[in-house]
Amino acid sequence: MVRVRKNLIPYMFLIIPLIIYLVWVIGPMFYTFYLSLTDWDGLTTPTFIGLQNYQKLFEDKVFYISLFNNLKWLVSFITIPVVLGLALAMVLNRAIPGEKFFKMSFFMPMVLAMVVSGLIWGWMFHPAGGLINNFLVATGIMEKGPGWLSDRDLVLWSIILVATWRQVGYVMVLYLAGLKSINPQLLDAATVDGATGWQTFWRIILPLLMPVTVIVIVISVIDSLRAFDLVSVMTRGGPANASSVLANFMYIESFNNYKMGYGASIAVILFFLSLIFIFIYLWRVMKDELEY
Amino acid sequence: MNNKSIWALFSLFALAALALTSCAQPTPETIIETVVVTEVVEIEGETIIETQIVETTKEVEVPVEKQVLIYNSYMSDPDPRAADAEVVTMFSEANPDIEVLHSTVAHEDFKQAIRAYLTASTPPDVLTWFAGNRARFFIDNDQLMDISDLWASEGWNESYPKGFQAMSTVDGNQYFLPTSWYWWAVYYRISIFEELGLEEPTTWEEFIAVNEALKEAGYTPIAIGTKYRWTAAAWFDYLNMRINGPEFHVDLMLCKESYDDPRVAQVFEVWRELLDSGYFIDDAAAYSWSEALEPFIRGDAAMYLMGDFIRDSLPDEIEEDLGFFRFPIIDPNVPIGEDAPTDGFFIAANSQNVEAAKRFMAYLGSVEYQTYFAETLNRLPTNFDVDKSIFTESQQEGLELIEGADFVAQFYDRDTTPEMADEGMNAFMAFWDDPDSIDGLLADLEAARLEICAPE
Repeated sequence: MVRVRKNLIPYMFLIIPLIIYLVWVIGPMFYTFYLSLTDWDGLTTPTFIGLQNYQKLFEDKVFYISLFNNLKWLVSFITIPVVLGLALAMVLNRAIPGEKFFKMSFFMPMVLAMVVSGLIWGWMFHPAGGLINNFLVATGIMEKGPGWLSDRDLVLWSIILVATWRQVGYVMVLYLAGLKSINPQLLDAATVDGATGWQTFWRIILPLLMPVTVIVIVISVIDSLRAFDLVSVMTRGGPANASSVLANFMYIESFNNYKMGYGASIAVILFFLSLIFIFIYLWRVMKDELEY
Repeated sequence: MNNKSIWALFSLFALAALALTSCAQPTPETIIETVVVTEVVEIEGETIIETQIVETTKEVEVPVEKQVLIYNSYMSDPDPRAADAEVVTMFSEANPDIEVLHSTVAHEDFKQAIRAYLTASTPPDVLTWFAGNRARFFIDNDQLMDISDLWASEGWNESYPKGFQAMSTVDGNQYFLPTSWYWWAVYYRISIFEELGLEEPTTWEEFIAVNEALKEAGYTPIAIGTKYRWTAAAWFDYLNMRINGPEFHVDLMLCKESYDDPRVAQVFEVWRELLDSGYFIDDAAAYSWSEALEPFIRGDAAMYLMGDFIRDSLPDEIEEDLGFFRFPIIDPNVPIGEDAPTDGFFIAANSQNVEAAKRFMAYLGSVEYQTYFAETLNRLPTNFDVDKSIFTESQQEGLELIEGADFVAQFYDRDTTPEMADEGMNAFMAFWDDPDSIDGLLADLEAARLEICAPE
């Protein structure tokens, strides 16, 4: 009897967060699944229309533009910030003068809210009076700066640049933590055995950082799938949907065009896309937990 | 994001409701009490009863239920915002028993949030909104309160012209209160026109010549910011009305004409000439309408097709340098159509404080309010009892512009259905970016029209 009560106590503590989680996360999630099967303008009662939303979605050009943009974002995100972040971590993982200052500077963008970053860069990208174009024109590199956020071919890359600028510092911090956990004796042994710097990096440090790399990549993938803030603040997906990503597309359809059911179906697709990577992440984290 | 937002909104409303219930606080009041004091006095063995009436003044806590009125407004540009706040103050002073909870929401956000407002269990009582199809949609969905009694008791059926009555009436009942309207025109910087010796163009040839002269002299002829798309819709409205006439335009808005009609294609041909000639500002899509004002204010750009609310965002010294002219005539055989959008107010169907809401609406429809608005914001009043002598020169000119028109439309996204407006404005943006794609875009628009406007 006593033992049963002992086992119950943790559950008693868990019950409040569990209820909150059920009401605010799981409940709405299933409600979204239901909504995605309906036609709803946000005012009247939703009418059940089966899979029509999905049918329409798979024929919608904007859906493919958004999905493809998400993929571009994803590929850039698992390469550029990861490589740059690792490089910075390697450089800053030794006692160089001002090392703390540099670490802080690179991590700083992460502290800023996405919306703030979006606004600041929006001004920097301003085609006529922005910092970047003024610089390009003043130094004579270009006669007239490009329309960073109004040119259909440039706009997505301009936004990804901002996202990358933000992400590098984050990845750097993760790798710095990873590097600290490497046993220095291994590195000493490598040096004694006559390994060059490159050999140590490729053969010893990088393989030992593998768990961190997996986490970094999965986080980058999830971050790229949920990209919304920067797009919403900087362009709202424009011009002519050129910078639309799934989350923004979902928001515009639901709250701008009041097609709640249609928006919900986009949400469901996005949910399952993210779920794959979240599972990989959780599986990895739990495996690590078991090891230690 | 989707589901989270909805729930977040609900929780916000729940909080707002909680806050409201705690608002009705007892207020200390001074009351005059009349007390009858009876004294029994014994004088010389006789008992005399003396009665005195004493008036005492004392402070008592009397729980007065202040009526709470929730008023949500989209007047977020600086000048209208100040005027709006002043109106609430004036109303509160005249009606001390009503407490107005006034919130101003940025207008793009307001448009997105309004459905959540209206479907909440305690919706705002009075809201700002647009006349035309945008109001009609909510009326058809029973979200607007029938205020026919207010129209009758306030005498608006007499003091408002027929046109404004008609746009508020569905099946014989009034649901909307139009309070102000404004005209659209091509605004320009007088100083630039004077410098180059240009005249206000009235025909298309003259307009092109003006553009050419401005471009030659190094000015950007036309400023526009299309980030929020509707500015481009104004160009479509005017080009279509000038080329094909207002009747065709209205039928197109009502889905009675098709988008793959060669007449629509013609509109885009003319539009394209302007684009190809480089008359519009570069990178228009990077700016909101007010961000695109910057070059206009700096004096780099000379013209801007805009509603008269352009004034609200201009510095005073630029306002003195501001002229406007009727969108030039392309085909003189076609009747003249103008855009003159009307703004106003309505009471939410689920309003919890109908009495207070109606009193506020009565104030908004009154000569007093409309005079104030006409004087401070240069809008034109809908209540024709307002003294016309208060109008400024530009208001007179604007009034003449509209009175000289054969037909008055609201605006693209107010005349057609919301879904169609969205499809249309997306197509305008895609066209702007890549004019070659117009044939495909119009085919897509036609497909959208058939789907959206299909008889149910």
